[in-house]
Amino acid sequence: MRILIVEDDEPTAAALSEILTEQSYAVERASDGAAGLALAEAFSYDLILLDVILPNIDGVSLCRKLRSQHYSIPILLLTGRDSGHDKAVGLDAGADDYVVKPFDPEELCARIRALLRRGKPDTQPVLEWGKLRLDPSTCEVTYGEHKLLLTPKEYALLELLLRNSRRVLSCGLILEHLWSFEDAPGEEAVRTHIKGLRQKLKTAGAPTDLVETVYGIGYRLNPLNSSSLSTQSIQSSAQLHQQTMQTAIANVWDRYAANIRQQIQQVEQSAQLLVDQTLSLPEQQQAERLAHSLAGSLGTFGYAVGSQTARDIEHLFQSNGSLSELDAKQLIELVTTLSHQVILPPPSASLPQPQCEWPLLLIMSNDQTESAQLLTEAQHRQMRTSVVPSSASIHQQIAQQRPDVILLDLDTATSLDNGLQLVAQLQAYQPPIPVLVLATPEHHSSTSGGLSLRQRLDVARSGGRTILQKPVSTEQILNAVDQILQQGTVTTSKVLAVDDDCQVLAMLRSLLTPWGLSVMTLDQPQQFWETLEATEPDLLILDIEMPTISGIELCQVVRNDPRWSSLPIMILTAHTDAAMVNQVFAAGVDDFVSKPIVGPELVTRTINRLERTRFLKQWAEVDPLTRVSNRHKSTQDLNQFLYLAKQHNQPVCIAVIDLDNFKQINDRYGHATGDRVLQDVGQLLHRSFRNDDVIARWGGEEFVIGMYGIQKRVGVKRLESLLQELRHHEFPIAHCDSTACQTIQLHITFSGGVAEYPDDGDNLHALYQCADAVLYQARAAGRDRVLCAGY
Amino acid sequence: MSKCILIVDDEACIQEVIQISLETIAGWEVITASSGEDGITKAIREQPDAILLDVMMPYLDGLATFRRLQADPKTQQIPVLLLTAKIQTSELQQYKKMGVKGTISKPFEPMQLAQEVAKALGWLQYGNH
Repeated sequence: MRILIVEDDEPTAAALSEILTEQSYAVERASDGAAGLALAEAFSYDLILLDVILPNIDGVSLCRKLRSQHYSIPILLLTGRDSGHDKAVGLDAGADDYVVKPFDPEELCARIRALLRRGKPDTQPVLEWGKLRLDPSTCEVTYGEHKLLLTPKEYALLELLLRNSRRVLSCGLILEHLWSFEDAPGEEAVRTHIKGLRQKLKTAGAPTDLVETVYGIGYRLNPLNSSSLSTQSIQSSAQLHQQTMQTAIANVWDRYAANIRQQIQQVEQSAQLLVDQTLSLPEQQQAERLAHSLAGSLGTFGYAVGSQTARDIEHLFQSNGSLSELDAKQLIELVTTLSHQVILPPPSASLPQPQCEWPLLLIMSNDQTESAQLLTEAQHRQMRTSVVPSSASIHQQIAQQRPDVILLDLDTATSLDNGLQLVAQLQAYQPPIPVLVLATPEHHSSTSGGLSLRQRLDVARSGGRTILQKPVSTEQILNAVDQILQQGTVTTSKVLAVDDDCQVLAMLRSLLTPWGLSVMTLDQPQQFWETLEATEPDLLILDIEMPTISGIELCQVVRNDPRWSSLPIMILTAHTDAAMVNQVFAAGVDDFVSKPIVGPELVTRTINRLERTRFLKQWAEVDPLTRVSNRHKSTQDLNQFLYLAKQHNQPVCIAVIDLDNFKQINDRYGHATGDRVLQDVGQLLHRSFRNDDVIARWGGEEFVIGMYGIQKRVGVKRLESLLQELRHHEFPIAHCDSTACQTIQLHITFSGGVAEYPDDGDNLHALYQCADAVLYQARAAGRDRVLCAGY
Repeated sequence: MSKCILIVDDEACIQEVIQISLETIAGWEVITASSGEDGITKAIREQPDAILLDVMMPYLDGLATFRRLQADPKTQQIPVLLLTAKIQTSELQQYKKMGVKGTISKPFEPMQLAQEVAKALGWLQYGNH
């Protein structure tokens, strides 16, 4: 946990720093407002401790500035004045809490812990590993019966290991988490603390190898010999960058490998010519430059040896005149070595790619075949999975890493009541973990043979999110999981609340912010329209009674503008009589919350409303078969790209691709097979392009891809590597003719055309037509290729 | 709200690795240019907080680009770091005399790059002790 202290008074700052360091936080200090702002902007902190009176920018203004830039981490104000007015000003500026100076260290720490808990709702109370137990709320560590007395650094180290119990932590990573940038000691410090920790664990009766050294990599907790846990490995802590980076860089390498190998070939040819003394001087200089850049790029991708070889080659090309016989021999040897050195994937790319940012699906089921199918299929959809066979191990699993969704087969539970009880327990986590329930219809229940209302009610009452009737296909299950995951993303939504009562606004803010919502407040209804346009909220909360303008009038104003016609609106009202309710709904309000506000009710209504809206929006924007954008949505996004590109003078690459001979697949193998192929292609597209690229299906077997800031030559390369992957993709098809049935492996290809803004057109229509014309040429030239406009 | 860095490098793959590294680790905004000319245009227009400039580029090389950036009042205040193969201390001194803020040696370790850049630019020394 990293805390920034902004305090100009040196003794106070030193005292704060000492108190917080003692509590094993990593602390950084700034002594005026400007320095504090610069640090907050440049680095990420878990909390900011802010003095109100500061040179150049005062604490309240700084706070307001950070909030206006959507900086959402907890801010704790330190104020010298204990007046209600000052506190209100601070809280209105966006601070989460305040402490009056002179402060009581114990109270300060408790408030910090409270804020950090709120900021990170997903931290589970107690961390356990076998007999080892760490309670973050009391900072107590026990092994079996024995209590461990740890230093702050040892404690933080153990907590880090427990929170990342399934991975090896490198010294560098431990340094980064336990120390601030400036005071980071060398790696030997980590070794010293590990040693201290091991010693204390041993004294408490733990095995000596509980904290295991993985030579050359780092440290980890020795895996427990628990057969109850699945062998499916779980990668943990999505927050950590390393794996994300390695994966991303490995992807870059995949795209450029062919290019780099070609450069090596070029160097090889030039070397031969140089030895034969038929290389011109400009050609020699060109080869030297090539070797130079190879040394740089190979090293960056992790080929340390290859980089050195390229460097040696560069030196030999630098020589004037003809090479000595010895040099010539060496040069030829070096270039051959170099081409061999890059045959294997780079060291960083060959590491297992954990993709820890994928959502985690926890499966509790006895049906092994079903689980196995789910595991493979989930991987295709970029989800991680883990299987637990019984309810006994489920909580342990959750403590190690919080899953995003739990799939619970009710038949796995010893009894129906037990199963429902487990669902209810999962809802008690903060925030609740969504549960998808699989259930078998009761035999006697209904004539239709489906799930009875009672079964559905039971599950809903215990808090289950979705219920599916067995038997159910893997695909149905994962579609439902996808839907739940989509709902999870509401937490990035923006809410605008309008009320003339500042206290109500402060309350709304404090109720909704812990749920990850970004809450903006406005106490002057006159400024409503400007604020609405400037903030573009995902949901509005309006007070019904305000001086000069009422909430209902504001609602009508919003509904009168077609752009805002689908914005969800909730009204705060003290009166809920029938006439009022009628009037409210007639004005276009979606829901109302009665005053005085009941916290949980408000939160539930807000989150539900946001989820419903998102769900409906998704239906309107995503192609249900391939799960890429539909034409309507992608047209909006692409136009947005072009608008931005005009402003920032950036290129935009528009590609149109068309699956080759697709009609034949439909004709020969049926439309179900055709759909399956389209579905796979949709997934392949999702995997191959970046999140911020636009990927869309415009109809039939035609897809459109938009890449912002990318030139067409790069766009063509990306499409070519996609084509390469598709060529090798096998679509298993059950094919029957008059004599026999067999499974055949179908291969397909596509033709593509690429155009670039602004070179090939300045609006979407022109660019699409240009790319489509090039696509036509690609098809005429024999399909299975990507062509570029203007070449 | 975070820092914005302009990368000028003719090699697309290096450009991408730098971009991934600075975006993922430091959360900075990254803009890219693939030639010296392009870099100058973007520096004037985007006014980045710093420029990472490759020395070895075809046509307008890194040093020439740097001189043009220095000569233009619209860009001379933007700190520049040079991306270069490992160099001698004497060379570094010479660069510093010209007004270069520092150098980053190629090849670099992607995990460490953000920190190296922040250090070279003096972004880590704010208000500490």
